[in-house]
Amino acid sequence: MRSDQDLAAEAAAGDEAAFETLVRRHQAAVRGLTRRLTGRPVEADDLAQSAFLTAWRKIGSYRGGAFKSWLCTIAYREFLQARRRHKPEVEFDESTHIIAFDLSAARMADRLDLDRALKQLPENQRICVVLCVAAGLSHSEASRATGWPLGTVKSYVNRGVAALRQHLAAEDVA
Amino acid sequence: MQNDEPYTDLTALFEAQDAAFADDGFTDRVMTPIRRRASWRSPLLFGAGGIGVGAALSQIGGLWRAVVDWLPESTVQVGGVPDVSLELGALSPLWFAAAGIMAVCCLAILVSERA
Repeated sequence: MRSDQDLAAEAAAGDEAAFETLVRRHQAAVRGLTRRLTGRPVEADDLAQSAFLTAWRKIGSYRGGAFKSWLCTIAYREFLQARRRHKPEVEFDESTHIIAFDLSAARMADRLDLDRALKQLPENQRICVVLCVAAGLSHSEASRATGWPLGTVKSYVNRGVAALRQHLAAEDVA
Repeated sequence: MQNDEPYTDLTALFEAQDAAFADDGFTDRVMTPIRRRASWRSPLLFGAGGIGVGAALSQIGGLWRAVVDWLPESTVQVGGVPDVSLELGALSPLWFAAAGIMAVCCLAILVSERA
């Protein structure tokens, strides 16, 4: 299997097939990220599409490192731009979020728990948890993406992770 | 990717969620505008550039004759070449400017597309 770096280099040279392989490989992670940030599947997929189109235009500026992190950073910026343009009309819609996934009943219950727990977090913590824990960005990458100081990001992640574990544990008991 | 606190258990949960995403046409949705754009962009850019270069060259009066003189006689038939009315020195700088602007625009578009 060709590496992301090789495919990105080919895509930068104009190879659409190489970029298509990258889209197939990372679409789930990017769509997962945008759904967790927005809570609305339709808007999230629009953002994910915009992120991939931006990535195609800017693929020449990719300088190595984790390609998934580079993509997720672009997706996060798309989310920020969209939020500046449109104030959210509805709050996090759990039901539509769940329907969009093809899951067994047990896994859907797990998903429900995780989504509910994520929703309980303050926004800054949720963003840091989504970027670092779910999307796999390092604290430094998340700091660059959000513009928040590194120490602040670490603090948000640590507090978010602790709160997430607490929520999940409480739901397990219930 | 060094993080201070281990949270691999939570990362695994999120990854399991992501693994449940079927592509369901999403990749095609992304690739369709990319392919469509690529299909018209190159002919348009290079066509416009070619027209600009052709227009500029057509105004250089002595160019064709200079080329013909330079080429070996045995390889070129010049009987059908029309007489030109302008000399190289009389070329309007406007055409050079137009060709230059067009070339810069094409270059800028290509560079911005790849930036």
